[in-house]
Amino acid sequence: MAKSYIFCVVMITVGSCTIPLIKVFVVGNILLRLRGSLEFKCQLDSTDVPHVQKVISRTFEALGSQVKSESLVLSLCSSPVFLWPNKGGHATPEDLTPNRPCKDLQQLIQTDDQESSSKKSAKKDKKNATAGIINLTLMTEVTEQGVLSAPTILRGSKKHHFLQTTLPMDCVVSVPSSESISVVCGTLVGALCSQLGDMEKVALRHMKGTALLIPQPFHFLLPAPVGLVTVVYPAGVPDSQLETQRKVLHSLFELPDNRPYLRRANALHFPDEPYKDGYLRNPHVHLNHPTLENGKPYLVQGIYSYHHYMQDRVDDNGWGCAYRSLQTICSWFQQQGYVERAVPSHKEIQQALVEVGDKQGSFLGSRQWIGSIEVAAVLDQLLGVTSKIMFVSQGSELASKGRELANHFLSEGTPIMIGGGVLAHTILGVAWSETTGQIRYLILDPHYTGAEDLQVITDKGWCGWKGPEFWDQNAYYNLCLPQRPKTI
Amino acid sequence: MSSNGYHRISSRSGQNNHSRQSVRMGRGYIVEDVVEKYLSNLCASCVTGLLIGQSSSQRDFVVLAVRTPQKDAAGQGSPSVSRRAGNSLDHLDVEWVTEHARQVSRMLPGGLSVIGVFLVTPPELSKEAQNTLRRLIFAVDKHISKGRLWSLTEEDVTEKVTLHICSKTRKVVCRTFDVRDPKSSAKPADWKYQSGVCTSWPVLTCSVGLDLVFPVLELHVLPQDMEKCMKEGLQTWAKQIEDGLCLINGKTMPGEVELLAGQKKNAKAVQQTFRAQILIPMADPQSEQRSTASVKVCSGSLTLTGMVHCRAYLHSNKPRAKHATEVIKRDVINTVSSRVEMFLEDILMEGEDKGSVGVQQVLPRRVFAPVPGMSLCVCDYMFPDESVSDVSDRLKEMLDWETPEDSIDTSQETVPAPTIDLKNMVVQKNLKAESTVDARPKTPSEEPTEAPKSHKTYYAGVAMAAAVAVLATGTSLLYLSD
Repeated sequence: MAKSYIFCVVMITVGSCTIPLIKVFVVGNILLRLRGSLEFKCQLDSTDVPHVQKVISRTFEALGSQVKSESLVLSLCSSPVFLWPNKGGHATPEDLTPNRPCKDLQQLIQTDDQESSSKKSAKKDKKNATAGIINLTLMTEVTEQGVLSAPTILRGSKKHHFLQTTLPMDCVVSVPSSESISVVCGTLVGALCSQLGDMEKVALRHMKGTALLIPQPFHFLLPAPVGLVTVVYPAGVPDSQLETQRKVLHSLFELPDNRPYLRRANALHFPDEPYKDGYLRNPHVHLNHPTLENGKPYLVQGIYSYHHYMQDRVDDNGWGCAYRSLQTICSWFQQQGYVERAVPSHKEIQQALVEVGDKQGSFLGSRQWIGSIEVAAVLDQLLGVTSKIMFVSQGSELASKGRELANHFLSEGTPIMIGGGVLAHTILGVAWSETTGQIRYLILDPHYTGAEDLQVITDKGWCGWKGPEFWDQNAYYNLCLPQRPKTI
Repeated sequence: MSSNGYHRISSRSGQNNHSRQSVRMGRGYIVEDVVEKYLSNLCASCVTGLLIGQSSSQRDFVVLAVRTPQKDAAGQGSPSVSRRAGNSLDHLDVEWVTEHARQVSRMLPGGLSVIGVFLVTPPELSKEAQNTLRRLIFAVDKHISKGRLWSLTEEDVTEKVTLHICSKTRKVVCRTFDVRDPKSSAKPADWKYQSGVCTSWPVLTCSVGLDLVFPVLELHVLPQDMEKCMKEGLQTWAKQIEDGLCLINGKTMPGEVELLAGQKKNAKAVQQTFRAQILIPMADPQSEQRSTASVKVCSGSLTLTGMVHCRAYLHSNKPRAKHATEVIKRDVINTVSSRVEMFLEDILMEGEDKGSVGVQQVLPRRVFAPVPGMSLCVCDYMFPDESVSDVSDRLKEMLDWETPEDSIDTSQETVPAPTIDLKNMVVQKNLKAESTVDARPKTPSEEPTEAPKSHKTYYAGVAMAAAVAVLATGTSLLYLSD
């Protein structure tokens, strides 16, 4: 079966799976990302399959020529630089000669105001720097030099289907920063051509009649030694129907076959693209983790969003903490690609509980608290996720649960919801020493009512490490430990 | 300020820096000496005509005046107004004046446009003349803006000038109207002659490649709906050009940069040429979130390919980069849309030619002619079966001057050879060519012309059949019907 992928970049230094973002860059390499739209249009005289396939292929071929033509121009985002990759890397401004190293391009980028971000994440300046993603977009020059021949009009009167769309090109290449501009240009054009080839395969494979599914590229950061990979998927086909393709890729890249790496939700989120929904992601990465004698931290794996009181214009101050913890957990399953549904609202959570018979109809619209059992029930009902329930009769017992919690984070890596006394929290990790018995819990507190201010949240401990005294020593607690579905 | 509102303009530029138009009492027009000469040579008692030039926020320039040509071949010397009606201007054929304006507009490269009208009348009609001028200027502006594919911006000057000349005293009354406002009243303006107004006007040039395919939806029928289909398609293209980036002499320039900066003020007046390059995104990203390509059932298609040569002039009073990019882009859009219009008008006149479907038809090509005594050029469009003498005749009729045939520059665009891509050519069958038209591309000097404005359609001469998408490099894969 057609393999629809590009093997793009190798040898990225190992990063822990919890933070896929920071450690993408090879020392001395620059990432260039080229995006743009290519217009795809063709005329289908008949709808029989061989003809359609021929026309589609020819159209892709023509696009390939377009990409290799001299009129292709790459615009360096946020700069006055334009490159003509098929003219030997000719550029404007003129002093940017083709043999200059591509790291010179970075200096010409007008970085926007980084003051606000450096205030929030002062510790993470090195992460901020565009150690470097250079963004480029596709353009074309309509002015030409050479033989001018006056324009002509051609009227065709054949009945046909006219197909038209734009292809969302998105290529990433990693090159040494000393590589010359002209070579880098060649690499980028090559990446475009390869991507067109992959798109053609995907388009042909999924075409039905005259319905052409738009091929869309996704970038994934796979664990070492694989690195950055680009896969083209057809739009409109849900992940659930693309399992066969993913199986092939999993075996090709020697990825475990029980957790997803190549679902659309797993796509790499580039550091320079802010999340549009406004929620903070993984605030815990900005913390200093405790150092315990003979102990180490065991943390949640992957990406979650911080959900807390007063968000989404829902005033749940005083009653919604477990709901918010549940939302955090749902966001984890969504962003790891296990589910496609959005994080459920309070209403939807209550509706689910009524549907499974756990609550009466009068529950809807109320401000009733829920506990771990209800959280597990909702995860099952809405997400198809099963959970383990852990029970401690006294809060003091939690101090001895280090091993169990550590094992959970090692094998499942999902956030834990803990409810007891009158409060609910989310546990994102545990630091535990086998020899001394010291233990710390990484807590994400849903009782926060303020704005998405990372500085406040980390400084004031809304996301922070707590000791065993954090728990009510006499109350009993239930913990909901969601289990990863074994699927890709 | 003098009591009648006239605003004195110093002849030294740089002194006035009125950035807000509201401060000025009236506009000031700097007019070429030759215009004065031309106007004074108009000896008929009633003459209408056009004023051609360029308006900027600071200054306005008039470089040409052209009288309205006579309507009937028999009449002499009193164009557009019947001699009998010497006592009133009621018989003034406004439509004829506006049509002349429209045709002249097509002959003007970027930067130049019809910015006003003039009217010569005997003294007794002077008062009525003001009303007439008002009517004329609004009608002219409306008519020449029709079918325009680009939009005016806030910075465009919408004041147009009307000039009344008394045939006896040669007194000149100059007023402006804001054509954007139908209720606007006349504002006095200054009219001042000067020599060498446009000698050092910089010129921008570029050649733009076209590669456009317009599907003709099933509900449309060619040829009646051809105009609609082309216009819609061209509108999208024009927007891309309008929004595109323009490099001047290979560099990006912020809009406020002065193009002629660094030139000494009193340096020898020489016309600078600037090369323009236009960059547009490869395609507009889809605004709607579609997962499949859009499919339209079509009954045909229109393919527009080739290259057009574009030219635009800028005034020399501190022109800015953004003005430069504007005028050249507008010329690009205008030249394509003018030719398509002419092509469609021609089809309408000739009647539908059955054999022309499936055949590549050449749009008129652009030729340039120098304005006598100036470094500016005007342009004209030559149909394939025309020659330079036709162009020369048209220039005489429209612009009222003699042009020696060898001064007409036909080299900027050449007649296209039939484009055959042998690799992909599939010969289905020969065209049913009824007339045996020579397939050789005709050079302008060859065949003698027939009656002006009639011409034959140009046959490619070789049967070709299709495939698909069109490439930017100029080789075309053509779609033909059988």
